[in-house]
Amino acid sequence: MNINELNKRKTPVVVIDNSLKKYKDMPLFQDKVHKANEMLKTIGLPDFTKRKAK
Amino acid sequence: MKHPILEIRVMNIDRYNLTAEDSLTVFEFVSDGPNGRLAKIIKFSETNLKGLYNLAFGDKDLETGDLNDLAVSNNGDSEKVLATIVSAVYAFTDCYPNSVVYATGSTKARTRLYRMGITKYLDEVKKDFYIYGQHNYDWEFFEKNVDYDAFIAKRKNRNFTI
Repeated sequence: MNINELNKRKTPVVVIDNSLKKYKDMPLFQDKVHKANEMLKTIGLPDFTKRKAK
Repeated sequence: MKHPILEIRVMNIDRYNLTAEDSLTVFEFVSDGPNGRLAKIIKFSETNLKGLYNLAFGDKDLETGDLNDLAVSNNGDSEKVLATIVSAVYAFTDCYPNSVVYATGSTKARTRLYRMGITKYLDEVKKDFYIYGQHNYDWEFFEKNVDYDAFIAKRKNRNFTI
C-alpha cells in the first residue's frame, strides 16, 4: 500500500510517543475541566437512553 | 526506538498525523502553514464523573513546553486542525468506547468554530457518534444553525443500550 492509499483509508496511523506522558498528569486546560464539572453540577449529562425519532 | 503503531478508523478527510502516548489521552500533531510549523497538544482530561472526559487543545511552546489554549495561530489550516481533533476523538473513543467527551471553546469565537466544524462533518460524524449541544442550560441533539455553548459526543457502539 502506498502513502496515497494509506491517506485515503478511514484508518489513520497513530504513532506512540511516550515522551507525551509528561502531559498526562499535568493540570492542563484546568479552566475547561472546571467548566465541565460546573456543567455536571448545573445541568448534568444528556439522557443517553433517549433517541431522536427519525 | 521503534514505536508501536495503532490503526484506528476515522473519517476520510484531510488531517495531520497524530502522535500519542500509549494510553491515548494525550495527542500531539504539527500544524503546517504560512506561520510555520506549530506543535499542538490535545488532551482528554478526566472530570469529577467517571467516564466523562474534557477535550481541550492548545499550542505548545517548543522552547518552554508550556501550552496555550488561547493562542490564535492563523496558520490557514483551521479545517484541517478540526479534522485532526475529530480523528483524535475517534482514536480516544476506540480505546474508551463507553466514554463521554465534553468540549467547549476557550472563547465564544472558538466554540463557534467547533460548531462549524461539527456542522460541516455532521452527516459523517453522526454515523459513529451521538452528538449533543448545550443550549439554554439543557442538552439537545445537535442541530445545524443553533448557537451552542458546549458539546458532548458519545460513541455509538455495541455495548450501548438503545
